[in-house]
Amino acid sequence: MHIAAAADLEPLLPPLLTAFQQQTGIRAEASYQSSATLATQIIDGAPFDLFLAADLSFPQRVIAVGRAEESQPVPYARGTLVLWTRNDSGIATLSLDALRNSTVKSIAIANPLHAPYGRAAQAALEHSGLYDQLRAKLVVAENIAQTAQYVDSGNAQIGFISLTSALTPRLRADGRFIRVPAEDYPPILQGAIVVRGRAGSAAAHRFLDFLAQPASRHTLAAEGLEPVH
Amino acid sequence: MDLQALWLTLRLAAATTAVLLALGIPLAYWLASARTRLRPLVEALTTLPILLPPTVLGFYLLVLLGPRTAFGRVAAHLLGHPLAFSFSGLVVGSVLYSLPFAVQPLAAGFRSVDTALLEQARLLGAGRWRTLTAVLLPLSTHSLVAAAALCFTHTIGEFGVVLMIGGDIPGATRTLSIAIYDQVQDFSWAAANRTSLLLICVAVLALFLLYAHRAQEDTGA
Repeated sequence: MHIAAAADLEPLLPPLLTAFQQQTGIRAEASYQSSATLATQIIDGAPFDLFLAADLSFPQRVIAVGRAEESQPVPYARGTLVLWTRNDSGIATLSLDALRNSTVKSIAIANPLHAPYGRAAQAALEHSGLYDQLRAKLVVAENIAQTAQYVDSGNAQIGFISLTSALTPRLRADGRFIRVPAEDYPPILQGAIVVRGRAGSAAAHRFLDFLAQPASRHTLAAEGLEPVH
Repeated sequence: MDLQALWLTLRLAAATTAVLLALGIPLAYWLASARTRLRPLVEALTTLPILLPPTVLGFYLLVLLGPRTAFGRVAAHLLGHPLAFSFSGLVVGSVLYSLPFAVQPLAAGFRSVDTALLEQARLLGAGRWRTLTAVLLPLSTHSLVAAAALCFTHTIGEFGVVLMIGGDIPGATRTLSIAIYDQVQDFSWAAANRTSLLLICVAVLALFLLYAHRAQEDTGA
């Protein structure tokens, strides 16, 4: 089974795939990209059985062209946006307001046009009335994994990344983060669809059931994705 | 919107070509005339970008240009801003990426010049610099034009390195290829189509001028 997985799942999906294989004997492989890239690829007939997106709009697009088995995306998790900086970045206070300081020169965000976490980051900045004045400081990464790479490499001083990235051992060791207040941005509901007409669709349904099991939900929550229900 | 990206792409290609000719001519001259065992190594290193995936270059540049290395800190200090996510950073990336496209045709051109002419120039008292400017370069205009055109067009078509180190900033690092990528990602296929056509027109025009120049020289010769 081939899974098209949103970039924020990269840190946590591999162990789940191993657990799934142990439980069911089904081997699953995942490709990680921005949700928009994956949606385009699936619409163009890429050989994926399951699409785990980082929001609901991209699965909707696949549904709209008739390539999905579901008529609505199946929400499987909720993402959390965090503000992350390296310990040696010279930024003392971690808060949205502190982004206005002249010491903050570059802020990494994922592309709001096509990355759900980027959209959430833009919404949070707009909600705080900061977006227009911070615009010149923004550096835009292609997806949320690249955003983490921009800040962790020190090229951008601070950035809006996913909690799933911030909780990885590497980023835990390199820096610190605060959660962006949940009321500042619309929830990052992550939806899945099973791709229509593929040999692996039964396996894909089983994987969705597996994700809903308490043990999997516990793993997701520990790695930065809240359960939906 | 697209025009801004086009203008940026043309500026990047022009700057990259200028830097590459300035670096490539002496380097190619050395490669064409050097007799040391070091030469194959230098040749290998200058050809490397052809076979390295742009992601490798982009990754190293991101790490190398970053504030965590001494090089990155010196560059940031000199420029007043970090190299990544800036136009100058893209020039550095593009120069590395297109280096073989400058050096290879130039070195081949220099090597094809009759060594007897170089010998005579030396006997008449010309130094290395004079030999280069008065004999080699005038006899290698083909290669010079080819190198410039290849660097220019190769930079226009560059994508991976820019995606890795650019940061998609309008007017600074959003080149045409990145603009097209964004438009495809955003499902704006009509816009992507328009931008792509623009890119194709620029590329065809550049290549046409190159081959027209060559045809003219051939008939003139």
